[in-house]
Amino acid sequence: MAKFNLRKAEPKDVPDILRLIKELAKYEKMEDQVILTEKDLLEDGFGDHPFYHCLVADVPAEHQKVEGYSVIGFAMYYFTYDPWIGKLLYLEDFYVMKEYRGFGIGSEILKTLSDTAVKNRCSCMHFLVAESNKKSIDFYMRRGASDLSLQEGWRLFRINREGLLKMSAEE
Amino acid sequence: MDKFILRKAEPKDVSDILRLIKELAKYEEMENQVILTEEDLLEDGFGDHPFYHCIVGEVPEKHQSADGHVIIGFAMYYFTYDPWIGKLLYLEDFYVMKEYRGFGMGSEILKKLSHTAVRTRCSSMHFIVAEWNKPSIEFYKRRGASDLSLEEGWRLFKIDKQNLMKMTDEE
Repeated sequence: MAKFNLRKAEPKDVPDILRLIKELAKYEKMEDQVILTEKDLLEDGFGDHPFYHCLVADVPAEHQKVEGYSVIGFAMYYFTYDPWIGKLLYLEDFYVMKEYRGFGIGSEILKTLSDTAVKNRCSCMHFLVAESNKKSIDFYMRRGASDLSLQEGWRLFRINREGLLKMSAEE
Repeated sequence: MDKFILRKAEPKDVSDILRLIKELAKYEEMENQVILTEEDLLEDGFGDHPFYHCIVGEVPEKHQSADGHVIIGFAMYYFTYDPWIGKLLYLEDFYVMKEYRGFGMGSEILKKLSHTAVRTRCSSMHFIVAEWNKPSIEFYKRRGASDLSLEEGWRLFKIDKQNLMKMTDEE
């Protein structure tokens, strides 16, 4: 497969983005946990204040391996803020359809994201990886990533909506 | 100390915010790692597109700190995006000066953040805590927080600027 194209996602890509989000969730056996809709993605990503940004990879019609799909990979990211150093680029989701792996699309996506980070004066890129995902860990380590949870002991915590409602209702 | 108010930070609060960021960093023995300036904070927080939001805790002048400050606590947060559920509120930094603890300001700050999260239709609040920081872990667990690193195996990774530039240079 010779050609693929990386570009900024547009509103018309929202159905494909949702499809790929669900495919990645399916791979993690969590497909039914995706409650986000195309409407949410449209409003949240393409309104006055985008809460996320997406890069999509598409292939020309003649290279389509899977019937009807030309968008075959994506990366979702946004900007976060470190109180010591300022802006960071946060990589939230990153997925290339199985049939299209091994052609360097993943590397190109990461390269484009790196460029975006540097251009936006971000000090670095952050992202989470599940400790069981050895393949992804190796992919990132090969590119110079360091495991801050291991090195600095950081743990991710969550207070879910129930907890938030309880706190906001307290006297 | 009977009174304090919590309010949205304004541009004039930027020097106090930086002071409190440095105090918190000093507590972690990392004060010299804070390279952010007041100018950065002003541009990044109060421009067209804010990269962070702040709540500050203020006391009346008669309760000012030993070195004359009335801004004696803050929380820095921003919005992130989960591809399965949408918007989240991310709590980045949270600090109350030592002399002002024990009066419920921390709880009030969290309550206000919870309210903000619910109002802006966030599914939950995320934040990281260092595994050795037992008092903070307890503080959050009492409010219903769950340790996603422990439960789901998430680890935080970083690719620093040097390695980002290495990737952008690669052919």
